[in-house]
This record gives sequence, structure tokens and C-alpha cells, in this order.
Amino acid sequence: MERIVGSRLSVGLSVTAVVAVIVVVLSSSTRLAVALALGVAVLGVGATFVSLTAVRRDHPVATRALISVIVIDLAIFLTFRVSATSNSNVAIGAAMAIVLLGLSFLTGSSGQISLGNGAFMGVGAFTVGIWAEHHPTTPLVAVLVLATLAGALVGLVLGIPATRLRGPYLAGMTLAFAVAFGAILNMFSSWTGGDSGLQLPTAVVAPHWLASFFGPTASSLTTSSAWLADISIVVTGVALFLMANLFASRIGRAMRLVRDNDVAAELVGVSLPRARVIAFTVSAAYAALGGALWTLINNSVSPSTYSFVLSITILSLVVIGGIGTIPGAIMGGIIYAFSTGAISWLTAHLGLNPQGNVASQLDGIIFGGLLVITILFAPLGIAGLVRHGWRWWRRARPTGIVQ
Amino acid sequence: MDAFLTSRNVSDVLGGLASGVIYALVALSLVLIWRSTRMLNFAQGAMAVFATYIGFAILAPSTNYWVSMAVAIVAGLVLGGATERVLVRRLYGKPEINPIVAMVGLLLVLESVAAAIWSTSSRPLATPFSIVDWQLNHKPMALSPFAVYEIVTSLVVMAIVAALFQYTKLGLQLRAAALAPEVSRLLGVRVSRMLTIGWMLSTAVGAVTAVLVASNFFTGLTPSGMDGVFAFGFIAAAIGGLDSPVGAMVSGLALGVVFQFVGDYVNSNAIILVALGMLIVSLMVRPSGVFTRSAQRRV
Repeated sequence: MERIVGSRLSVGLSVTAVVAVIVVVLSSSTRLAVALALGVAVLGVGATFVSLTAVRRDHPVATRALISVIVIDLAIFLTFRVSATSNSNVAIGAAMAIVLLGLSFLTGSSGQISLGNGAFMGVGAFTVGIWAEHHPTTPLVAVLVLATLAGALVGLVLGIPATRLRGPYLAGMTLAFAVAFGAILNMFSSWTGGDSGLQLPTAVVAPHWLASFFGPTASSLTTSSAWLADISIVVTGVALFLMANLFASRIGRAMRLVRDNDVAAELVGVSLPRARVIAFTVSAAYAALGGALWTLINNSVSPSTYSFVLSITILSLVVIGGIGTIPGAIMGGIIYAFSTGAISWLTAHLGLNPQGNVASQLDGIIFGGLLVITILFAPLGIAGLVRHGWRWWRRARPTGIVQ
Repeated sequence: MDAFLTSRNVSDVLGGLASGVIYALVALSLVLIWRSTRMLNFAQGAMAVFATYIGFAILAPSTNYWVSMAVAIVAGLVLGGATERVLVRRLYGKPEINPIVAMVGLLLVLESVAAAIWSTSSRPLATPFSIVDWQLNHKPMALSPFAVYEIVTSLVVMAIVAALFQYTKLGLQLRAAALAPEVSRLLGVRVSRMLTIGWMLSTAVGAVTAVLVASNFFTGLTPSGMDGVFAFGFIAAAIGGLDSPVGAMVSGLALGVVFQFVGDYVNSNAIILVALGMLIVSLMVRPSGVFTRSAQRRV
């Protein structure tokens, strides 16, 4: 019985994944509606066959992979339908979600916080810029991996003191790093291009074979904005998948114990210094990956982007979304993707001069204010509010047997 | 003698002291808050800058420098007290990242509001002291009337704070509330009022610091002008020990001199790297600070 359920499940999973991919491929043609209907139908049939709770329990990794694939597919599908501006916002926001995932992991797993993730983003961003200057033909994946490793390395060096530091000290040290980052870039200005930064030698466009695979109607794929959004979404999906597994893994569980009660964690054999360094390094590596994507999206990298304000913005987003949780990080990325548009809408509706002082500071005032309000009244952010609301809903409508 | 006073190394020491007193003051105001409420006030620089704007930008530009400074100090007292009452008070007993996040949020709000009202461009203050270095035998001495003013003012502020803590009843209550809140409450000290006063004092010290920083012709007053100074001040406080006012001030002065030498002999970009390195090494070797003797946390 066990085996039958297992094989039926794997068939179901693969069918759903294939259908999801087909939906994406067909979406650029006129048969969009058919494809969508087909996908929904198959998903529905699949859902009646298998109990989703049982699947999540028995095959957690496969479930996470499936969810990631579907989310990626849907998001990519959307990139064909929206304008170039929205696509570049989506790309920027998806990359930001990766950074937020890293910071969320650091806090969610070790209870610590970093004020320097903007600078870690800069490490990844400049790694891409510098590398592309000397080796312009390196494959995309290799460049991204390289940038991630560079971020992990810097994170490791700065994370070693984190083995002995607690909250405020670590936050202060990362703040010093964020403030110092501009000077560090300046010090190596022959590599980093000084104040003007670096320009990528070639723009990132879709490889020819992929564009032709999608057929001549998929012309939007070859324009860089849609393609960059797709890359960003795929990388975010992979990062999300790895992070979900890390959260649920033995290491992740050990780290949550460190966060909740470090004495108990040590008693059951968790090595505190190791757990803290791993958490810090992972968060730095994720930040660097996000920064690397930003360089690819903007086709250039400028030191002024990676100022101290960016680090604070990252903190605001992750706290508002819900710190220490995966949905919170995704929420933060979505907020960031739409924040530019929302703020210019607000500027127009308040009748502010778009070039004026107030309009240019509106994002800082709003993010800062939301940050304070969130931490005072809803410390777990939007994700926490949703969770509370869900629990309250379930309690208000008891469905089980009343004792 | 003249040749000695204008030599490179003596110049570095003198110039270093002038910036060192600033770091010492920032470190002192951080320690004041850390000792009483176990919080690191990340908004310290922004609060100080905001108070300075109130003193120097709201009043007419022709207002006397000292009047503006007095207004800035009062604004610092009010801002510090209000922050403690409205914001900080709700954060006692919460996980340790909550105050950090809240203070960073306050930092962002204050800097953005200041920039929205007074713009991000630098505003020069009419300092009554020249920043031109004194000449000895036609060679500059790395010491200007302004630098002397900076050093003297900082020393006066430190002396006032030290005297307050050492010789007054209020100082005794402040120390008692910080070291043993429960016992002092039983003995009739109004602990929560002491915490408010601690924040007021700290922000007032910060306001003086920000006025001094902004009075420098080369920097002027900008909304984010204290970010870098705050980082150095934090490094000084962390190396000296967040529990030790004397340690924080001594390490602030020492760092100022060291940075001046690094800037002179290596280059100015290396300063913050050296600072970061010193912070990491000192935290690795003595996590609670060079000047602290408190028991180390076991886990």
C-alpha cells in the first residue's frame, strides 16, 4: 500500500510539474486559456488522488521542489504579460527576496541580526562586475556561484567574531562594516572603478537556442527585461527551495534551538559557535547572490547603491514582512518590487513636488515608521499577523467534535 | 622645540586628539544608555543631528552660536526623554533584537524627516573659531583655535558628566538604578525616572557632539553626518567596554590618534578597515571590552 501511494504520488508530481512547464511554454501563444484550464484541471485531479497533508509529511523535499517549480512557472508566466518596467521591478524585487531570505534565516535560526547585508550585497555585485571585466564570456551560473562564494567568504571572516558576540555587539559590528563599505571600495578603486563603479561589457540576453525553442512569437523573451526577470525568478526559486530545506534540516532545527534557548542547545550537543558562524555565512552568501543579480539586471554596478541606507532598507523589509520566516522574506521582496510605484503614486496623490525634499525622503519616512510600528505592535510582521489571523479564524469556527 | 611641535608625528597626535574627543563623546553617550537600559542606541547619531538641526536651522541664521547650541542641548534633553517614554519603554524585557530594530527604525525616520525638512545638502554653521592652523615659524602646527575649542568643550562635557555621577545625589541614584534596579527600587529610588534621565543625559551629550562635528567647516551639518562618527564611536565603546565610561572615553581618544597615524602613513580609506580589524580582534580577545572586569557570559 505504502509503495503504491508512493509511485502514484511520484507520477502525479511529475505530471503536475510537466503541465506547469507546458503552461509557461504555451503562454506566449494564443492557446493560453486552454493551457491554463488544462493545468488547473490536472492539479485538481491530482489533489483528489493524494492527501496533501500526507504528501507533505512523507515527501517533504519533493513537495517543496514541486511548490518551487509551480511558483517559478507562474511567476515566469506573469513576466510575459506585464510591461518592461514591471518586469524590471519584478527582477529587482525577486533578487531582494533572496537577500531577505538570508537575513530571515540568520534571525530565525540564531536570533541575531545583521545591519550590514547591504554591504554583503555589494560584495556580490562588485564580484560580478570585476569578474565580467576580465572574463566576459563566463556562463551566467558560474558567475552567480562565484559571487555567492565571495559573499560567503567575507561573511565567514566577519562571522568568526560572531561566535562570541551577542545581539547588539554583532549588530554594531555589521553596522560598522556597512558604513565602511564605501571606503573599502574606494581603497581598491583600480578594481572597483571608484565612484563611477563598473559597467558590464555585454548585456545579458537570452541565449539564441532558448529563444528559438520558444518560437518566433516569444519575441519578448529576447528583450532583456523579461529575460532578466525570468533569471531572477528562477534563481530566487532555487534559493527558496534550498532555504526551505535548510530551515527543516537537522542544522536548521539545531539553530532554532540556539535561538530559543542557547543553554539547552549546548546541553543537547549543538555547537553554538558553529551554528552562529553557519547562520551568518549563509546570510552573507544569500545577500551576495542578490547583489550579483542586481548587477546583471542593471547591467552596471555603482558604489552609491550599496550605502548604509540599503542595509537599513533590507532590515525594514524583512521585519515588515515577518522576520525569521520564509513567507515573510518573500513578502518583503514583493513589497520592495512594488514600493517604487506605490511611493510615486502616493507622491502624485499628495500633490508633492516629485523633485522636492519631502518626496525624495518619503520612502525613508514610510519604511522607518513602519519598522518602528511593526516591531512595537506586531513583532512578527505581516507573516505573523496572517498566522494569528488564521489561528483566530480556526478557533472561531470549530469544525471538530465538541467535547 | 618649534620643529618638534610641527613635526609629522606630533601633528598626527594633535590632530588625532581633536577627532578622538568626538569619538570619546559618542562612546560616552552610548555607555550612558547601555549601563542603564542594556540597549545600544543605534539612533544616537540621528537623534543628536536632529537636536542640532532644531538649534541651528529653526532659529534665524543670525542667532548667536551659543544660543543655538543651548537650544540644541535642550532639544537633545527633550528628544532623549521623549524617546525613552514613548518608544524605549515598550521594549524592556523583549528579545534583544527588538530594541535594535526599533532604534534603527527611529534612525531612518529621523534622518529622512531631517532631510525632508532641511534637505540633504550640507549646511555650514557660523563657528566663532577659525579652523586655520596656528603657524610656528611659518609651518602649520596641526592645531587650530577650532580644534582647541573642540577638545576643551569635550573635556568639559566629560567632566560635567563625571562630576554628576560622582558627587551628586542624582548621580548616585542613576548609578544605583543601573547596577541594581530591584534593590534601588526597594530603597526608594524612582528607577523608571532614572532611566528617562539617563536617556536625556545621553542625548544631550550627543547633541553637543553633533554640534561640534557640524561646526567643522569641512563637514557642516547634514542629516546623515553622524553615521560614520557613530560607527567610530561604537567601535571605541565596544573596545573600551560598553560598561565602562572611562574605558570608552580613553579608547575613543586612543582610536582618534591611531586613525590619524593610519590616515597619514597609509591612506584615509584604510582608517575604517583598521578600525574594523581592531574591533574584531578586540572582541575576539576580550568580548566584554578592555576596561571591563565584569563576569563573562558562560554560554
